[in-house]
Amino acid sequence: MKELQKFAYPVFFIVMAVLPHMLDDRWQAVAITFLIFAVVALSQDIILGKCGMFNMGQALFFGMGAYTTAILNNEYGWSIIATIPLAIIIPALFGILLAGPIVHLRGDYLLVVTIGFNIVFVQVLQNNLGGVTGGPNGIFGLDSLSFLGYDLMSQISVYYFAFIVLLLTLWVMHNLAGSKPGRAMHYLREDQLAAESIGINTRVYKIFSFGLGAGIAGLAGTVYATQYSAVSPEAFEFIQSVLFFSIVLVGGSSVPGVLIGVFVMFVLPEIFREFATWRYFIFGFAMIAAMIMRPRGIWPATFGKIPKFLIKDNNHGA
Amino acid sequence: MDTFLQQLANGLTIGSMFALVALGYTMVYGVMRLINFAHGDMVAASAFVGLTIYTEVLGQATSLFAVIAIFLLTAVVMAIVGIILERVAYRPLREAPRLSAVVSALGASLVIQNGIMLVWGPRMRIFPELVPQVYWDFGGVVISLIQVIILVLSLVLMVALYLFVEKTRIGAAIRASSIDQDAARLMGINVNSVIALIFIIGSSLGAVGGLFIGLYYRGITFNMGWQYGLYAFIAAILGGIGNIPGAMLGGMLLGLFNAFIAGYVSSTWADAFTFILLILILIVRPTGILGERVAEKV
Repeated sequence: MKELQKFAYPVFFIVMAVLPHMLDDRWQAVAITFLIFAVVALSQDIILGKCGMFNMGQALFFGMGAYTTAILNNEYGWSIIATIPLAIIIPALFGILLAGPIVHLRGDYLLVVTIGFNIVFVQVLQNNLGGVTGGPNGIFGLDSLSFLGYDLMSQISVYYFAFIVLLLTLWVMHNLAGSKPGRAMHYLREDQLAAESIGINTRVYKIFSFGLGAGIAGLAGTVYATQYSAVSPEAFEFIQSVLFFSIVLVGGSSVPGVLIGVFVMFVLPEIFREFATWRYFIFGFAMIAAMIMRPRGIWPATFGKIPKFLIKDNNHGA
Repeated sequence: MDTFLQQLANGLTIGSMFALVALGYTMVYGVMRLINFAHGDMVAASAFVGLTIYTEVLGQATSLFAVIAIFLLTAVVMAIVGIILERVAYRPLREAPRLSAVVSALGASLVIQNGIMLVWGPRMRIFPELVPQVYWDFGGVVISLIQVIILVLSLVLMVALYLFVEKTRIGAAIRASSIDQDAARLMGINVNSVIALIFIIGSSLGAVGGLFIGLYYRGITFNMGWQYGLYAFIAAILGGIGNIPGAMLGGMLLGLFNAFIAGYVSSTWADAFTFILLILILIVRPTGILGERVAEKV
């Protein structure tokens, strides 16, 4: 497996790097969508998969990043690139502020409260609070990408923008896995009481996971706003959060699993367009079947370098 | 004052529908510790099943007998769907990690919701006018016959359920299973039968709730299950999830709250206010109004 992964990652990166030059416009757009939703799903994985917080409101942070970019660009004339810092910081701050009072809630309650945040967010957008969100129609006509005076109008440059964001996300997740916060989150996910008793401040790391996940999702939102040069509330409805939630768990909260999940959920329907109306009907069955056959996901995540015979195979944590 | 009394009447009507649906959530959660996300879509499906029974089986008859037949047949059909749902999507995952069952429930919800769309089409359908349009005017406060029927029938069903759970041997088995499944099994209770039974009861109550939604709002869409289901689920949490009187109380309170928001503030903000209420209550009382303060199982 390790050898396969050593080989598979460079191949994946090279294929993804040359991919847009082999695709026509429509498939380039599909590929960009894949990259964006992969980043959001991975950011959800940090909160749900790595830290074990039942978060079903990830579309909120994604949407908040997209709206930050859209409002700054449309109302204040910032260039897209210049909005990136705020599109990361604002969702991350909201992630921390919203998570603060609720992370102590037991799993299912947390789930419902995060659904609530998502629904309140969409309703705020639709009711055009503060007069800057554009109401139900959203905001459209954003500028295209430009960097150091170069206009990057083409779809290919949006693709590479999305690809760089995905690479950054993978880099963050890779570093997280081997870092102190990553280990703390893993222990707290496995057994909160045990984690506390060895001196891990679980509250801090729970909130940290929300902040980090929200910031990355916000960055993905910037790419999303760039791709469509528009944002509207229905793209960040709570059903989207349900999809990200399911992708992480069906995938098994590992990077390959999540990427497979995003591919199945967002790319396959483009290939089988004649089955478009059957899409969610089939996905529903697939979700049930996947969970029955592989309750830990199709590609379960492993942690650290613990030899297999030392891992007790029970249904702990999640 | 008129607005107040009018919204009180509306709120009690909506609240009793929420309560009926919330009972399905709370009973399943009580025994299985699982949010049955498919329940809202079962409720939506029952409105469509009722519609089809009316047009296809009963030939659009609107006698009292026909109305009773629609309620009974729909309840039976949904009870069967409920048993199938439990067998297919939940039973194989009883021993699996909690989140796997949640994903399975979400999958079941997508299947039912889109099953409705594939069978009955994506457009809004109009539910038949089974109850004559009779209104009473009490000095500015208008109450319709449908509202009275919904309120009375819901209360009867809820009292019956309460007595069944509290006073019968089977009810004791349900309560025992929800306290501790393993201990219940050791006492000779067939937990599988209890779970099948709560799916039968929950789905039939949900079916009644779904038909009420059809009768009261008239327009039914394939994806309305998410919204009503979410509200009912919030009602169950407000009352203390797993607690049967709690679901009834939570439903009524949520219905009243919604009606007063719609009456005094604005209906475009109803969802937001509902969730803010929920979040505040969970921060103050994390186990709901009637929920007992239990230590987390380790």
